Amino acid sequence: MMEGVVVKLPSFPFLYPTVSPSSPNCRLGFRRFSAPLSAAVKEGSVSLGHSTRPDFPILHQKVNGSNLVYLDNAATSQKPTAVLKALQDYYETYNSNVHRGIHYLSAKATDEYELARKKVAAFINASDSTEIVFTRNATEAINLVAYSWGLSNLRPGNEIILSIAEHHSAIVPWQIVAKITGAILRFVSLDENEVPDVEELRGMISERTKLVVVHHVSNVLGSVLPIEDIVIWAHAVGAKVLVDACQSVPHMVVDVQGLDADFLVASSHKMCGPTGVGFLFGKSNLLLDMPPFLGGGEMISDVFLDHSTYAEPPSRFEAGTPAIGEAIGLGAAIDYLSGIGMQKIHDYEMELANYLYEKLCSVPNIRIYGPKPSDNIHRAALCSFNVENIHPTDLATFLDQQHGVAIRSGHHCAQPLHRHLGVNASARASLHFYNTREDVDEFIRSLDDTVSFFNSFK
Amino acid sequence: MSLHSFSSARFCTSKFPICFHLSKPSKFPLFSNRSISFEKIPTKSPPPLRSSSTQLQPMEELPPKLQEIIKLFQSVEEPKAKYEQLMFYGKNLNPLDTQFKTKENKVEGCVSQVWVRAYLDEDKNVFYQADSDSVLTKGLAALLVNGLSGRPAQEILRVSPDFAVLLGLQQSLTPSRNNGFLNMLKLMQRKALELLIEAEKGNGSYGNGQVVNDNSEKPVENSNSDPKVGESSGVQFSSKKSNEDSSSGLGSRGMRIKEKLERELSPIELEVEDVSYQHAGHAGVRGSDGETHFNVRIVSKEFEGKSLVKRHRLIYGLLDEELQTGLHALSLVAKTPSEVEAK
Repeated sequence: MMEGVVVKLPSFPFLYPTVSPSSPNCRLGFRRFSAPLSAAVKEGSVSLGHSTRPDFPILHQKVNGSNLVYLDNAATSQKPTAVLKALQDYYETYNSNVHRGIHYLSAKATDEYELARKKVAAFINASDSTEIVFTRNATEAINLVAYSWGLSNLRPGNEIILSIAEHHSAIVPWQIVAKITGAILRFVSLDENEVPDVEELRGMISERTKLVVVHHVSNVLGSVLPIEDIVIWAHAVGAKVLVDACQSVPHMVVDVQGLDADFLVASSHKMCGPTGVGFLFGKSNLLLDMPPFLGGGEMISDVFLDHSTYAEPPSRFEAGTPAIGEAIGLGAAIDYLSGIGMQKIHDYEMELANYLYEKLCSVPNIRIYGPKPSDNIHRAALCSFNVENIHPTDLATFLDQQHGVAIRSGHHCAQPLHRHLGVNASARASLHFYNTREDVDEFIRSLDDTVSFFNSFK
Repeated sequence: MSLHSFSSARFCTSKFPICFHLSKPSKFPLFSNRSISFEKIPTKSPPPLRSSSTQLQPMEELPPKLQEIIKLFQSVEEPKAKYEQLMFYGKNLNPLDTQFKTKENKVEGCVSQVWVRAYLDEDKNVFYQADSDSVLTKGLAALLVNGLSGRPAQEILRVSPDFAVLLGLQQSLTPSRNNGFLNMLKLMQRKALELLIEAEKGNGSYGNGQVVNDNSEKPVENSNSDPKVGESSGVQFSSKKSNEDSSSGLGSRGMRIKEKLERELSPIELEVEDVSYQHAGHAGVRGSDGETHFNVRIVSKEFEGKSLVKRHRLIYGLLDEELQTGLHALSLVAKTPSEVEAK
């Protein structure tokens, strides 16, 4: 088993850029450092997709007789061997419960777990690791804010502003909490570019606004919102901003201090980490004032029969035994991503995004949702679309069965958005840095074949 | 090596992947000095999972049209052809009026939208209509509509969903879609039950509860006033159950096949059945003039000592000319007299 890892290692040296202390990628003090690049290898001669593919064992298989082309990364990303090894290593050598143990294993596990927390903090440039709360996923993180911050801060008549393009996880918890507190939800619609209307949002912000909940990158439209501006407008009236960064943290540099976001959430499984863990970033002063979300062990200070006192954040919000191995796996994922460099990943994916969009446009009768890419409008590397007269589920089924191409079909947890767009469902192809131009070519070829097949039946 | 200087351990871990080069014991020297032995605790192994395929409902209990559909899909092996056949069914499904696309008629658990409507005719047989916005799902719905319509409610209720396995479609269709299929069947069975209960309340109401004051509801006025809903779909379901001698209904090719086999193999039993109509949907047939698919059952001494493959090759060889001129597929059962007697 160990031998397998040795074989793979030679591919890594291509990826590590020489880093100067001032570069934005060099935030992580504990990042591993490999041997210098071999002089014979020109950086950039192999695309990022090709050079990273060997690290992802799952990509090298056949499904239904064809090579797998995995284009459902917005739903979940694949994990590099480094993350798999970290998980295995944890369970094989130092699995133990964290925080209270005296013995060696427990101390080591605690150490690694807290180190992972530090890695997350450094990855998003939080000022301190106590601002990172590990949760089960981004959805739980949003619920944490809703039930903890929301219930204790919202009064009748207070307004929460969201966009109609939000993921269900960013809408439903607030519906629940609004009902309890008497707060009101207000929704921003899309503008003519099929992007949430930022001007409308600005106009909606008033002294009644207490919270703005927005995505950074849309999982359906592929659009990017100007979080810094939104935060400025919100703070001007004393409102807080919760940023859903699930589709941004895995694909670009995210700097919570630069954004000045109050809360930010993301899931590990979308950023090459294991499922079962995610995190909430919250500014220290906010977390300190928030009551617990879930009660239990770990989040307490002293427990009596008639009352208990609670721990300081972040422990206050981490009841029970956490997903220790998984958090450590997330740390390993962050190491891996940092090793490549988020800016490099972003630049590569931008290229791929434009290529995907361009090639999709060539499919007859196709309707791609979201903005058209241009000099000032950048799209994420994903496209939700519909082909006239063909149900997206039929497309996805045929693509999978006949071509091994994995895309998603449905409402992508954004029913209000689809209702607004006037469709029941859409198909979505979403890329990550380990996808290649050839993946896109194969997708388009298969899609053309699929569309012809269904059209021939009309 | 001090175990308590965790700061050094921390830096060590940042080189994790490289550590994998080293053999295990050197990472944790303490452990390698201790030999730990483990004794395996004998545990009772869990009983083997019984696969549902061992308990499939016998085909004969299924409605006859459904049996035919199953046989049809079994004989179509290529997944793409299965799709085409499925879509052909869907295309020829009677349209469902918009007024019936209600919440009560909607199938839950489907990625696409599917509606199913049920009503009784004078003889208390259940009839279905369905629609979907996805052609593959519509095909599945049509399959069920055609397979179950015109039968008494009790027979429909006895249908176990296991037959979906027999269709061979589940390899072709994703699990979620298959679940939609199961949910469709469940809904259709539930509606059959509701109709049955209502009818037994005995006041001659033939409709299903939610449709009121609707003339087209009159069961006699099924789109063709013909219990065979399938008729209008252009796919004939008149069961061509083969008898000992099914030369009735054979066209010229069918007769030629029969003749050739009789002449060359002197069979003691021979049945030739033209099932081309079942394959009217998919590409192999398009452009030909029927007589493309046959079921052949033949019992002859000539097969003695020959393997199955050899027997089939023999038959194909004899019918080579037909295969070159439009015969698309043969479904063969080739036995020796002793094999048949042994049964």
